[in-house]
Amino acid sequence: PTMAAEGGGVRALSQREQDIQMMLAADVHLGTKNCDFQMERYVYKRRTDGIYIINLGKTWEKLQMAARVIVAIENPQDIIVQSARPYGQRAVLKFAQYTGANAIAGRHTPGTFTNQMQTSFSEPRLLILTDPRTDHQPIKESALGNIPTIAFCDTDSPMRYVDIGIPANNKGKQSIGCLFWLLARMVLQMRGTILPGHKWEIMVDLFFYRDPEEAKELEEDEALGAPEYAAVAEYTAPAGDTWGAEWPGAAAPAAAVEAPAGAEWTGAPGLNEDSYFPTFEINLPS
Amino acid sequence: MEELYLHSLPIKEHQIVEQLCPGLKDEVMKITPVQKQTRAGQRTRFKAFVVVGDSNGHVGLGVKCAKEVATAIRGAIILAKLSIVPVRRGYWGNKIGLPHTVPCKVTGKCGSVTVRMVPAPRGSGIVAARVPKKVLQFAGIDDVFTSSRGSTKTLGNFVKATFDCLMKTYGFLTPDFWRETTFTKAPYQEFTDILAKPTKALMLDAPAEKIEA
Repeated sequence: PTMAAEGGGVRALSQREQDIQMMLAADVHLGTKNCDFQMERYVYKRRTDGIYIINLGKTWEKLQMAARVIVAIENPQDIIVQSARPYGQRAVLKFAQYTGANAIAGRHTPGTFTNQMQTSFSEPRLLILTDPRTDHQPIKESALGNIPTIAFCDTDSPMRYVDIGIPANNKGKQSIGCLFWLLARMVLQMRGTILPGHKWEIMVDLFFYRDPEEAKELEEDEALGAPEYAAVAEYTAPAGDTWGAEWPGAAAPAAAVEAPAGAEWTGAPGLNEDSYFPTFEINLPS
Repeated sequence: MEELYLHSLPIKEHQIVEQLCPGLKDEVMKITPVQKQTRAGQRTRFKAFVVVGDSNGHVGLGVKCAKEVATAIRGAIILAKLSIVPVRRGYWGNKIGLPHTVPCKVTGKCGSVTVRMVPAPRGSGIVAARVPKKVLQFAGIDDVFTSSRGSTKTLGNFVKATFDCLMKTYGFLTPDFWRETTFTKAPYQEFTDILAKPTKALMLDAPAEKIEA
């Protein structure tokens, strides 16, 4: 979606500009009322209501730098991504899933990097954190264990022992999700898994934190049934593909919806529609 | 051994040090009884100070407190081995033979005790009080002038101060270090393929002590 405010926005935006647009939408550029002196170089200006604005161009460059460091580690499992705060947990898990790193969500038991007797002892090559203030314990331990640290730092985050600080807003759910999504995509692009310039098929929303109530509501909607095709934004490609193959000529539903009775049909194309999808026949608009 | 220092790898098991640094001798500097008051009288434990070294550039200092003297000494020896540091030696003037003294004036502080070490010409011997003399002998420094200040009666602080002083010898930037360092790969990176393979429990001694995090 092109923003009308972007001057001369007729030409296609470069990857970097698209990313920055996304970051603006996710409020990544908003800092806090305080400003740490070491973060001053990334701050653009202070707003009239006291909030500092982060220079997103620099954020993007720092993201690139961090991605390069991540790619430089030969064994991706030696990277640990961590988040104590709930807002970052889902993002961290998804990031680890797509880049092959290890994720720690929730409490970081002190001593995981230093106490060799612990069962959860690990010596990672690299540490990625969402917030140096709340995740200060892993920072302290990595300092003892020669582990370089990358962290998303807000304008008031302490930079002690953080080797690469990415200036960003680490308070909002969309912001954290957006940052991890961008970082994951950059890493995969640099590795060559994705080609640059193409849209990554995994949506940003996958990295956003979902409140448990919100998640429950969505699940209830699905259980109720198929009719709500359009509303279900969560469901991406996979269901659609199989359907297209199975029903080439039939009036298959346009949107990809997970049918409640999906488990029953094992993909036999020749069978009668009716027996498998009674609900559909009733609810199709035509 | 020097590779450990080059890459700042933390030493977790004292046997590593024994393997890499043969000829380590240890010496118990002092055993003091320390007491804690409980409602059933005093509870005494013994604190042992042990210095470990190979008289050729490596020293370690260990302090351990335990209910029995022997346990304390044993524990202190282990801690001393874990805390082994390299000591830099240099010349007073005229670079003939092997280095024999400190490369420059260094000073270490612990508590109120400050210990200052000054390079000395060959043949001066270790000019120091009994306590730091021991430590310096273990380090392998042959000649040095020292000067101390503060409450040197407190053996713990005195010995820690000299240890701190010795640690600083490699921390001092001298013109020989002005040349740009060529970085070598860190061992974790070099051996990343081997490390990636999951190994069976290599621990030969007592793996029973697994603490559930």
